[in-house]
Amino acid sequence: MKIDWCSCDGTGFERAQRKANEYPTANTQELQPVNENPRIAGTPMLSRRQLLWGSALSATSFAAAGRSALANVSVRPGGHKAAQSTSPNVLVTIFLRGGADGLNIVVPYGEDAYYRNRQTIGIAAPNDKRQTQRALKLDEFFGLHPALSALQPLYGNGSLTFVHACGSGDQTRSHFEAMSTMESGAKDERSDSASGWLARHLASTQARTNSPLRAVAFSSVMPDVLRGATDATALNSLDDFHLHRPRSSPSSTSMGEQHEEGMHQALMQMYADGHDEITQAGRETLSVLKTLNRLAPQQYQPAGGAAYPETDLGNGLRQVACLIKADVGLEVACLDRGGWDTHIAQGGTDGWMAQQLNDMGQSLAAFTRDMDKQMRHVTVVVMTEFGRRLQENSGLGTDHGRAGVMMLLGGGVRGGQVFTRWPGLEDDQLEAPGDLRSTTDYRDVLAEVLAKRLHNNRLEGVFLKHYPRFCRLLNA
Amino acid sequence: MQRRDLLQFGALTAAGMLLPGCSRVVRRALPVQSPDSIALPQGDVAPLVRLVNRVSFGPRPGDLARIAAMGLTRYIDEQLNADDREDMVLTARLHSVEVFQTSAIELGDLPERAVVRQLQQAALLRAVYSRHQLRERMVDFWSNHFNIYAHKGWGAYFKPLDEMQVVRRHALGMFPDMLRASAHSPAMLSYLDNQTNRRGVPNENYARELMELHTLGVDGGYTQKDVQEVARCFTGWTVEDRFLRRRGNFRFDPAQHDDGPKTVLGLKIPPGGGQQDAERVLAILAEHPATARFIARKLCRYFVGEENSHWVSKLAAIYLQTKGDIKAMLRPLLLSPQLLHAPPIVKRPFDFMVSALRTLNADTAGSAQLQEHLARMGQPLYLWPMPDGYPSQTAAWTGSLLARWNFASALAHGEVGGTSVDLSALASSDAIAHDAADSKDHKQVRALAQIILPGQAATDRYTTLLKQLANHSVQRSEVAALLLCSPQFQWR
Repeated sequence: MKIDWCSCDGTGFERAQRKANEYPTANTQELQPVNENPRIAGTPMLSRRQLLWGSALSATSFAAAGRSALANVSVRPGGHKAAQSTSPNVLVTIFLRGGADGLNIVVPYGEDAYYRNRQTIGIAAPNDKRQTQRALKLDEFFGLHPALSALQPLYGNGSLTFVHACGSGDQTRSHFEAMSTMESGAKDERSDSASGWLARHLASTQARTNSPLRAVAFSSVMPDVLRGATDATALNSLDDFHLHRPRSSPSSTSMGEQHEEGMHQALMQMYADGHDEITQAGRETLSVLKTLNRLAPQQYQPAGGAAYPETDLGNGLRQVACLIKADVGLEVACLDRGGWDTHIAQGGTDGWMAQQLNDMGQSLAAFTRDMDKQMRHVTVVVMTEFGRRLQENSGLGTDHGRAGVMMLLGGGVRGGQVFTRWPGLEDDQLEAPGDLRSTTDYRDVLAEVLAKRLHNNRLEGVFLKHYPRFCRLLNA
Repeated sequence: MQRRDLLQFGALTAAGMLLPGCSRVVRRALPVQSPDSIALPQGDVAPLVRLVNRVSFGPRPGDLARIAAMGLTRYIDEQLNADDREDMVLTARLHSVEVFQTSAIELGDLPERAVVRQLQQAALLRAVYSRHQLRERMVDFWSNHFNIYAHKGWGAYFKPLDEMQVVRRHALGMFPDMLRASAHSPAMLSYLDNQTNRRGVPNENYARELMELHTLGVDGGYTQKDVQEVARCFTGWTVEDRFLRRRGNFRFDPAQHDDGPKTVLGLKIPPGGGQQDAERVLAILAEHPATARFIARKLCRYFVGEENSHWVSKLAAIYLQTKGDIKAMLRPLLLSPQLLHAPPIVKRPFDFMVSALRTLNADTAGSAQLQEHLARMGQPLYLWPMPDGYPSQTAAWTGSLLARWNFASALAHGEVGGTSVDLSALASSDAIAHDAADSKDHKQVRALAQIILPGQAATDRYTTLLKQLANHSVQRSEVAALLLCSPQFQWR
């Protein structure tokens, strides 16, 4: 049987308390019934954060190690100011790598040119009764790919919006250049910078807490968008995040843990000074280890019956939800989803891209359900480096194009609209060699999110002297 | 590796060498030898360590003294003139890797992940044990330059041939030959979609990456129009159908070739050229000054760690003079005194893993458990999806430290499957100068420190830590693990 003494949704506290009582040495004074919403309550109720940091953990895994040195030095939390301030908003970015085909995600079914150029892979109009699989109506001109049906209710209830014909000024149509442009927050490939826009955002705003989990990328390598951030962490999975415990250490688990503590302390010493990237990263890693040791992410149970797909994106969003609910100071989470470079066999309402979209729709719908009321603190931005060419190619796919679609979901979003300054799809309206023109600068969208949701008022530094024009996509 | 995988795989494997029992047989019959001496040469070893760390995947015990004795020039020339001879330790272990032994027909019967596993196994074994370390470093360089993603299409099945005929064959040869081989390689044709590049509706993927990543570089002066024209030149370059029954060879399909006139980088390509259109493009690109500069820049970054404009110009000039002779570019670079004092370069996870295995003189089969550690560190070989290869910037790898520490700990504790280390042999070496007053614990700690961090541990802030470790009689395995975990060991 699994021990789920402390799941991140907060339902585990009663079990935690029972468990804690089994350890007479543990400090159980702080364990009280959890108010559903401690920060709104008028009485000086303890926050989840305090519960987690203060006692629940010392009561369990560390307590099991008895007189472990690490337990003595690390369990005491720092100041509680952050926990008592209003909940920080969280930005979740999802980067669709490879150039997602915006024209088949939000389908301009009102354009004849769309169907002339996409005879095989085009998505039928919502009112096209000849087809059983067709776009879901968003308005009189745009329809949603049917594989994203899980998102339709969110569009309907006003928490989801699309920005069409949106992109950067990148002219290379190279994945790497276009990604680099977008992740560095630059105008185009000629103006990109070595650091990422999220790294500059983090640098230009005050961290709400000293959390090592302020910015987390669920990725084996740090994405460029966080390059240059000293307070960002790249993780494959929260579950794997602990130091090795040798099997060969004599028998009991507590010895394994003592080895782990010994390693931790020796590493702290080795990485104590030095300002190169590796030494800094080492210090941050050790700090993250401390924090995650206090959580039990592998036991996380989503709320509301939310079912995340067993995919990288589903698992990533599930872990983001866990971190947000655990209230460990997360402000920014970055996720990636590859597989959008559909040069061949892209498919229409079925096929490769439809499967990709289905995963994305199911994952985002599960995340929204799981976060429930807390979703008002969370804004999800979905972006891609460029859209794809209007005309399908001989491999029944599409080549690299220009403008694409961005999605905004969650807190503060003025949903239920497809925002666009539509450039049109006729030959004279396209950009050579046959691509959707970009009429909304992606930086305007990101800047509005940073300003209105993460309260960044130093945007000119974040977007390299670009003075953004907001599109009224979000409420202040 | 799951037990089920093993069984399934073993049944399919003619030699069956990958079964743990059998690989143990090989390892017992041909164990990794302990070095005669692991003494360090006299004097300041830092420049020597720097050079050996750049030319190779890091010294094995005894290497530094041997190289110091033979002289750096001879060492580099020996490394540049790699031949096909390898030590039996490596040859015997490679013998079990059937993806390089069997025909494509049989290969097609293996599950894809088994093929990838064997590809990774061979790469690890060669990097750890090859006496031709520089060639292995260049194989790493070119494997990323001409990156193939094994999980796209038939990539895994095409990659063994690509590995042998493109990357390994030309790693220290002539760049234009390698470029041509890559352009004809079914692995590349399939990975960058050129097999679907047909007359009328060209697919630009290969054409673009050929110029951006393989030759000119993104600032190399080509335009979107050039990409489209090069794509037209490559129409009809495809992979033989039903490759499992034949060998998956390159095929030119005249019916799918766009035979009209083209202009590439301002040069006219007359109509009716057929396959020669793209051969001409490859020649134009290979002799282009932008290609010379691009390759020179990458080599500088790889070996020196920075783009020194003097060296970039010098190497680019050699490239143009010698028509792309890789050895001719490398020799002055590696012999340059500048290299001895170059800034540190972060080890990518593969570099880190291989250097750890080498420094501890590990006995490894390169098996799946080892590969899992590499994947956790973020660099599973042949599985970088994008054509630019694994990143080399430090910032890209700052998230990999925990996985590195955990590998170091597992390796030192003998908990990496198919891999063992004999720390007592290393720690008890009497070849290291000791204070007569040293306790046994102190001697062991100092011996390990000198092997893993040669020339560093004695002189810097580790002294205190090492003393503490010795005073508390910390186990050898934990000392070795910590030294591999140190910030210093993450750099070369």
